[in-house]
Amino acid sequence: MKRKAWCGSADHPVSRRGFLGAAAAGTAFAADMTVLDALKQPALAEELKWQQKRVILLWLAGGASQLETWDPKPGVETGGPFRTIQTTVPGLHISELLPQQSERMQQTAVIRSLNTKIADHGGGYRLMETGRLPEPGVAFPHLGAILARELGRIDSHVPDHVSMYTSTEGRRKGTAGFLGARYNPMFLTENMMPENIRRLEAISEADHQDRAALRDFFAERFSRTVDSAAVASHGTAYERVRGLMASDRLFDISEEPQAMRDKYGPTQFGEQCLIARRLVEAGVPFVKVARAWWDSHGQNFETHRELCADLDHCMSALMDDLADRGLLENTLVITLGEFGRTPRINGSLGRDHFARAWSCTLTGCGIKGGAVYGKTDDKGETVVDGEIGAADLFATIFAAVGIDYEKEYMLGSRPIPIADFGATPVEEVLA
Amino acid sequence: MSRTCLWGLLLTLTLLPARSGAAGLPAVESLADQIDQAVHTRLEAAGVQPAGPLDDERFLRRLMLDLAGRVPTLAEREAFLSDESPDKRTAWVEQLVASPDFAMHLRNELDLQLLARLKTDNDWREYLLEATRANRGWDDLFREIMLPERLREGEQGPAAFLRERVRDLDDLTNDTAVLFFGVNIGCAKCHDHPLVSDWEQRHYYGMASFFQRTYRTKTGLLAERFDGRIKFKTVVGDELEASFMFLDGAATYEPPVELSDERRKELDELVRKAQREDDAEPPRPEFSPRAELVRMALAPTGPDYFSRNMVNRTWARLMGQGLVEPLDQMHSENPPSHPELLDALAKDFATSGYDLKRLIHAMVLSETYARDSRITGGAEPPAADLFAVAIPRPLTPRQLSLSLLVATANPETMPGTASGDEWEKKRDELENRANSFATRVEIPGENFQVSVDEALLFSNGDRVAGDYLRDAGDRLVRHLTSLEADDDVAIVATQVVLSRSPAPEEQSRIADYLSARSDRRVEAIQQVVWALMTSPEFRFNH
Amino acid sequence: MNSSLKLARADKWNQSDILFCVARPNDSDRLFVGSSDFGVYEFDLSAEKPERVRLEGEQHQSYVTGLAVAGPMLISGSYDGQLIWWDLAEQRSTRVVPAHDRWIRRVIASPDQTRIISVADDMLCKVWDVATGELLTQFSDHGEKTPHHYPSMLYAVAASPDGRFLATGDRVGHVAIWNADSYEKVGEVETPVMYTWDPRQRRHSIGGIRSLAFSADGTQLAVGGMGKVGNIDHLGGPSRLEVFEWSSGTRRFEVEDDKKKGLIEQIVWHPSGDWLLGAGGDHKGFLNIYDMHSGELVTQESSDGHVHGLVADAALENLVTAGHNRLERWTIAAG
Repeated sequence: MKRKAWCGSADHPVSRRGFLGAAAAGTAFAADMTVLDALKQPALAEELKWQQKRVILLWLAGGASQLETWDPKPGVETGGPFRTIQTTVPGLHISELLPQQSERMQQTAVIRSLNTKIADHGGGYRLMETGRLPEPGVAFPHLGAILARELGRIDSHVPDHVSMYTSTEGRRKGTAGFLGARYNPMFLTENMMPENIRRLEAISEADHQDRAALRDFFAERFSRTVDSAAVASHGTAYERVRGLMASDRLFDISEEPQAMRDKYGPTQFGEQCLIARRLVEAGVPFVKVARAWWDSHGQNFETHRELCADLDHCMSALMDDLADRGLLENTLVITLGEFGRTPRINGSLGRDHFARAWSCTLTGCGIKGGAVYGKTDDKGETVVDGEIGAADLFATIFAAVGIDYEKEYMLGSRPIPIADFGATPVEEVLA
Repeated sequence: MSRTCLWGLLLTLTLLPARSGAAGLPAVESLADQIDQAVHTRLEAAGVQPAGPLDDERFLRRLMLDLAGRVPTLAEREAFLSDESPDKRTAWVEQLVASPDFAMHLRNELDLQLLARLKTDNDWREYLLEATRANRGWDDLFREIMLPERLREGEQGPAAFLRERVRDLDDLTNDTAVLFFGVNIGCAKCHDHPLVSDWEQRHYYGMASFFQRTYRTKTGLLAERFDGRIKFKTVVGDELEASFMFLDGAATYEPPVELSDERRKELDELVRKAQREDDAEPPRPEFSPRAELVRMALAPTGPDYFSRNMVNRTWARLMGQGLVEPLDQMHSENPPSHPELLDALAKDFATSGYDLKRLIHAMVLSETYARDSRITGGAEPPAADLFAVAIPRPLTPRQLSLSLLVATANPETMPGTASGDEWEKKRDELENRANSFATRVEIPGENFQVSVDEALLFSNGDRVAGDYLRDAGDRLVRHLTSLEADDDVAIVATQVVLSRSPAPEEQSRIADYLSARSDRRVEAIQQVVWALMTSPEFRFNH
Repeated sequence: MNSSLKLARADKWNQSDILFCVARPNDSDRLFVGSSDFGVYEFDLSAEKPERVRLEGEQHQSYVTGLAVAGPMLISGSYDGQLIWWDLAEQRSTRVVPAHDRWIRRVIASPDQTRIISVADDMLCKVWDVATGELLTQFSDHGEKTPHHYPSMLYAVAASPDGRFLATGDRVGHVAIWNADSYEKVGEVETPVMYTWDPRQRRHSIGGIRSLAFSADGTQLAVGGMGKVGNIDHLGGPSRLEVFEWSSGTRRFEVEDDKKKGLIEQIVWHPSGDWLLGAGGDHKGFLNIYDMHSGELVTQESSDGHVHGLVADAALENLVTAGHNRLERWTIAAG
């Protein structure tokens, strides 16, 4: 599909230039739409409101145990030693390892009936990140890329897709696939500061800007002589540099008061959740924070003691913070992994991979808090009610943030729905 | 045992390339004319006026990028521009296809086509270079890449294509189909292809059958098992056994072999040993499914996918898009934009012994190739598949990396082909130096977009600043600093980096930039070079 | 002498659950086991086909992780934080004490069997009067959080046979030694290798001190756990034993074994002090005999299941192990 570099319509130039208005002056954080005159245009304002939804994906890499989190089965042979706690939602009990979450469950919907069948890390990851089975020769975009495209602004001055994965185990960048490099994630690994986002010392701020202007001068003279979407994308990429450089502050948590940092706690996951809040606050539509590595083949209970403590604390701090800032109603927070863990406890007191009956949660934007969807049997071995797969989960996520889940992308002449064929959203968890 | 030897001999004989007499082929120029005729016919029918030819400056840049894989050096530019002979373009094309640059660039393009997404492999690249230097036929390469253990025994290089994919039968099957035949049949795995009637499940599994017995030994070589057939389930639940069937529907049958249970067990054990132990020799079955694939692909009963694919990909590489688009959708419901032309070029390609150099040579001699890419006025541009206007193409990672090295070098240290034999060594060095930066650049695919990561890399990466823009004797920046007049800096910088002379406004813009920074002239020059090399004009082949 | 010790399995009884602890009053054939099904059971070894009989009355609400015999009583501890007193004659519970806020990891009796000592993940060591069930005292020298800011665990407690000392050991490799009368801290040793924190690949920890045992004369303390692990998804590190002359803090031995990996969950010294037995496992089990003069692992036997609990006679000639899906009886004899 060829996207034209320019189009004859009156609207298009306005939208683009309108957004660039304030940013062209080089002010940093001001990329936030509220300061732009463009908001005075009602059509744009509406568009912008719609575009204000954000998603934070807390990726529980390695496969967290649903039995030690959202779907505990105390007292049965597969239940393990941990007990449950009554949450603020009548009738809903979750694992005693998540005490802070138990006080906040009225904001969250739990889905206990995922049956995704694929129980290897690579395959499970691909399935849960693209919402469908792979097809040779087609590069399906990951959830973050789709959401970045649907929720973001074309010439955004903040990144629209950020992904944090610090541990080395299971680390995968994710891809925008056929949506194009524009929607690839800004990928942070060992460093919480994105690569190449800071000006080198050898060049002054003024020269950096002037140099960019000189580049733009040559670039525009050339770009307007050819008809090429690829060439146009080159321009767009460079246009975004200054804004992205200014957004480096978003990743710097030393800008937060100590009291706020203390709320999230001293762990790396806490720091990253705080960065996630800063990012969505500035308008980044999709942030993935991976907490690796839950793959407790041995010592499942000890490992979940640690990791659930981290998840419980940081997720609760994040939810509270978003709520305090009035962001929670427009931000969807997802907890999800590649799969769950076996009800059967192995000889090392571990649990192995299990994709037949596991859980995920959705909190915030578009979600009916306190909803519990789906049921597993007494031992947690199968789903007995409300079985859904990855595609249905995607449809639910899209519906929650106001995206038409039946929307299609065109790959050449082939329509590709953003949620796989036959997907239906889980209405019971939608507000 | 003697039967094995005889079969082996027969196998090798059937695989030997059938070369037709090159003498009987039309000259490349007339092939170029055929291209232009075909394109012109459609243009006329559409009532579209094509763009004029490129001027010398820009033609040279495009030609060098496509034949040598890099931008021209200043010396080459000056030599070309000052050459007054009327047929200089033809002569330069002739020289370039015979140059060491050509073989290295073609090697890079084949590497990109067949393997680059997966990883860099020096043995493999050496193998390809040996082939491009000798201008070996594409069929030769295909044979050896498909049968490395029989035709290039013990070598790691040619086995790379299969080895990278051997763990996944689907990848192996579909990648081969896409890259060697222009056909993506992946969709036909679970059901008859929903959109393309040519591809049914039996085609998918038919192709997969050729690879199903392939495995990898402990030492990284390829081998085949003695038996095994794929069974698949149709959507209605029937279980069928796949036959060795090529894309045109022709099937091959395995000669029945009597193997005693004992012998079968023995062979299975030998196979297992080869997978586990370093010293074990894999046994070699008489019937090789992959050899059958090669045989059938090179002597098809239906469309010649093998030839059509390579013609199409070469066309796409040089002209900006294929005669069939997308490149992996060659089937009856997706006709080429110029059907007779594709037929003719494919036939010529096959008859010439699958001569890639000839094919490329003919294409770059055509008027179609040499068209301008600039559009004029605000009118709706013509449909791309008319090839009325040249299509800008992003540089590949290696093209970009090599070009950056050439464009930011002190022109006095970068003579190019003008320096004769010495250049080959220099070019080889450049290839090595270009390796690591190339890994940081995205491989262009369909709907290519430049990522903001690249823009940030160039804007703030210390590599770019510290290497390409370094103020040192072998670098352009130092050379420019030795020029006193700002205007000279503007002219030379633009000529070296963008391979053209600056327009007056551009020249004065640069001169102004420099004079405003007279207290930090070196930095200012670095910034000017940066601005030029990060322009899309550098980033693209246009 | 030690190298000629022979360790042999005499009996095996498969179980469908996980047995975490085992106690044996007065060397009798009546064993008691604590289970993952929350029950405490009697198991009569002398029977032809021994069957388990669940003790009645108040029940635990989670895994039973500790059992100690004190006179006519059996006291059990569990992940539910409770200690339950069981009358051995009546085979029923007589007292439930909500002992700890968090998961109880081990329960032992003082050598004179008048006190019960429990350790739990509230990082407290608590001492109870056997007769009354009263809390006599509590103390701790163990941080609630690991150096990496995660909740810690207090896995092990041991009493010296002469009754003079107690030792407690935790997740991060810290051991405190206590005067068993005044409950003052009188020593400490560190075994940090037993705590593996992986900052890079998987970002959590594994391991911890799982077992402690004083030599008969109380001067030496053996510490059991697991050595450094590469892949912390599994109990894939070598078993690790460290032996200290604890009052001077001198380490006499550190022994790692790669052949049978995992945690050392139980340690018993031979009364002579010449050797000791360590038992534990990964996804399977092992029993190791270490020579306490040379510091070498001299004899090893394996079990198909991870060994969690162990009880032995005074001469260390007969022992019973409780573990994953099994109960086993072993003999140790001079070769």
